[in-house]
Amino acid sequence: MTATAERQMELTLPMVPDIEIAAARAAGNLARELGMASESIDEMAHAMIEACINAREHSGSEDRRIYVRINGTSLGEGNSRIDIWITDHGKGFNVTEARSRRQTLGAAHKRGWGLQIIEAHMDEVSINTTADGTTIHMVKLGKRSE
Amino acid sequence: MGETMTDELRVAVDRRGASGAVLYTKGYINNVGGEEIANRAYELMDDGVRTLLLNLRETKIVNSIGISILIEIIEKMIDKGGKIGFCSLTPVIHKTFQIMGLANYASIYTDEENAAKELDM
Repeated sequence: MTATAERQMELTLPMVPDIEIAAARAAGNLARELGMASESIDEMAHAMIEACINAREHSGSEDRRIYVRINGTSLGEGNSRIDIWITDHGKGFNVTEARSRRQTLGAAHKRGWGLQIIEAHMDEVSINTTADGTTIHMVKLGKRSE
Repeated sequence: MGETMTDELRVAVDRRGASGAVLYTKGYINNVGGEEIANRAYELMDDGVRTLLLNLRETKIVNSIGISILIEIIEKMIDKGGKIGFCSLTPVIHKTFQIMGLANYASIYTDEENAAKELDM
């Protein structure tokens, strides 16, 4: 399978309410250019929203910026791949603890579900987190919309 | 992805008898939108509503904070002996509800007609 027609986009976003919508819209536009099906784009958008909210709400970054890189690739035969990197310069987090949260009615902590949502909606997710910041790399594979 | 960054969630209410109501949402269910839905839902509960249907036909985006507030609404309704249903979800919102466990505690219906029938509204 040969990768062609690569598209790239980089955004630096302020950590303000609802900025996650701007990031999701940018990725959605790029995915539409590649012909990705709308349900796959919606899944990717919801994952991006959670990743940006995690950065905004939990990173503790001093520069209050979210760095987004989006890479779209046509794989031929109607297939496409979107790579997304979302980076903050915050304090990092415990991935194992974040993955272990489960919802029960009456639980004191109902929040912190972002990572589970991201992993469910994307095809590949990897996280590099240190005391100097976090980058989450997400991949969405898509077929051309009918 | 029809909503704009500045769109606030809008909620409309349709009472169905003394103890039923449908809440129609339009826009992004984030923390602010979730609180708006909660305020309307709690007003209805205080007014005797025990069967509440949320029609999300015009909501295309949710986030985990907004859903956590919806779960709080479900808890309060269950405490009062009532029930909550959701209808007209996009496939991705339906999947997100399932991930967060909301689907374990509230019924989800394909459309309002089916929901009203099942909830006896």
